[in-house]
Amino acid sequence: MSEPAKEKEAVPAATPANVVPAGAAAAPAAAAGTVAPKPAPKAAAKPLPTPVFNERHGKLILNSRYWPTELWKSPWSLPSYRKGALVLFGLIAGILLTGAAVGELSRWADKLYALIAAFVAARHWPAVTTDAVWDLIKILIVLHVVLINGLWAIWWERKISAHIQSRVGPTYAGGWHGWAQTLLDGVKLLLKEDITPTAADKWVHALAPAIVVAPVIIAFAPVTFGKQLAAANLDMGVLYIFAFAGISVIGVIMAGWASGNKYSLLGGLRASAQLVSYELPRGFSIVPVLMFAGSLNLSTIADAQAGYWHGLPRWFIFYPVIGPLAFVIFLIASVAETNRTPFDIPEAESELVSGFHTEYSGMKWSIFFLAEYGYVLLASFLLATFFLGGGASPFAFDHVIPSWIWMLGKAMLMMFTFLWIRWTFPRLRADQLMDFNWKFLLPWSFANIAFAGLFLLFR
Amino acid sequence: MLEQIVFYSLAALITASALMVVTARNTVHSALFLGLCLAGVGGIFALLGADFLFAGQIMVYVGGIAVLIMFVVMLLGRASDLHLRQMNKQWAAALLVCAASLAGFWKIVRMAGGALATAPVKPTTGPLGLIMMGDYALPFELVSLVLTGALLGAIFFSRSEKSQ
Repeated sequence: MSEPAKEKEAVPAATPANVVPAGAAAAPAAAAGTVAPKPAPKAAAKPLPTPVFNERHGKLILNSRYWPTELWKSPWSLPSYRKGALVLFGLIAGILLTGAAVGELSRWADKLYALIAAFVAARHWPAVTTDAVWDLIKILIVLHVVLINGLWAIWWERKISAHIQSRVGPTYAGGWHGWAQTLLDGVKLLLKEDITPTAADKWVHALAPAIVVAPVIIAFAPVTFGKQLAAANLDMGVLYIFAFAGISVIGVIMAGWASGNKYSLLGGLRASAQLVSYELPRGFSIVPVLMFAGSLNLSTIADAQAGYWHGLPRWFIFYPVIGPLAFVIFLIASVAETNRTPFDIPEAESELVSGFHTEYSGMKWSIFFLAEYGYVLLASFLLATFFLGGGASPFAFDHVIPSWIWMLGKAMLMMFTFLWIRWTFPRLRADQLMDFNWKFLLPWSFANIAFAGLFLLFR
Repeated sequence: MLEQIVFYSLAALITASALMVVTARNTVHSALFLGLCLAGVGGIFALLGADFLFAGQIMVYVGGIAVLIMFVVMLLGRASDLHLRQMNKQWAAALLVCAASLAGFWKIVRMAGGALATAPVKPTTGPLGLIMMGDYALPFELVSLVLTGALLGAIFFSRSEKSQ
């Protein structure tokens, strides 16, 4: 506590107009004293930067001439900062206005369906053509949700991780905040050599990425993106999603075993042990939600949370004790299911050289990441549906913004939470991981089911 | 027509993968084909409109049992253990058992064939839950008791001598 205070006295606070770091000021002053204009070789003579104390953020900053902006007393005095805030505000306002202008997407979907049906009827084609074309369109949309999400989520993750670590992340590709970075990385991965190790089991090695990524695309079928906006309105939607999400484990084991590499095998074994274990609390944590909603259908679950208690939306996360507990258990188990950082012991870079995907390169390698981000998005949508009311607006007075905007916003908030968790917590050891699951998450998810039963009994 | 195409493709998939389970030389390949076979059976359930059974089959058998079998196979140890003999001296007896069960299945199929409902499929999860928790609550609880006992027994017997 006293150390920063000392620095504060020693170093004058930088003003917005004069942002020369304190350390750099010494060299020009020395040069001005002597008449000889010959500049000394700077690399050798340059003194170490003096730490700068930032009063506003209470942080000690070393050499930070251009970054981070905390060097300035108030970042709002910078034109670029104000511009950035304006752009962000404009983006959000633009999305909301577009949503209000477009309205509910299910209305447009009905119009499109009627158009296809009229076209088919006019050509005297069999009536089943309409449904076939319609299903094809829905399949393509769901497929592209997963693919485009990969582009978006990887860029977002890189930016967020960079800002959490006081870096800037990708900046050049595409111009605006490096938005095209993932796109170009994808081209690079596509052009890379596809390597199969000689020790590998060729077929299993080649099939593993497909087995990992196919279930996540299939599992998106019953996910609701808004009111009446699901590719398949399945009565057992939740069960279906959990069933297919469990298949990816086989792909991970296949990848680990078929690579013919001990690190990969270890990674595969750890991954399967972890995924199979964390599937249990993940499934049991949402049983209270299913008990309250009385259905496995995702849109029924979202509709069960409609309405407000004196302005507070009736979302499951706001149910006393039961809601937050279920939410936290589901969130933690979902992070573990996607092998992300506090639970990334199966692909720990420092000891397993990336675990089960060590021996993969190019597109096969990137497919594993496509699946990982697909599962992140799936978990975000599930969290939004189960606990945040799906497409319901958080404000009782709002009737303008359509449900798909709210759904997308909530899912993106949850995805941000995923990225935030990943770049905040350190990695757990394998035994801590198992202890945490079997001795904490699972008993509490059981207890939560009992709480929900008591709540329903005495309601 | 469409149903028949799907049915026969699934049937071919199930039979072929079941054959591969017993004929594949590598145990891991056998385990993978077992997973494919069980997934195909799930597909048959979906075709028949048994949605809960379909999801249950995928969840328990493909996502659970097949994964556990692969786990065990990979923990077997040396690579030579993965390549097992295809036959032993009991093959004649096995053939006999297979023939007997085939005859039995044939009789059942002859008896129950064509008894399937042709009405549009309805969701089965709710009615199944009501039956299990209503009319059949006692058998359901008994089964869960037996399963809990089996679980505890497995833990008891797999403990090492020292900790006992």
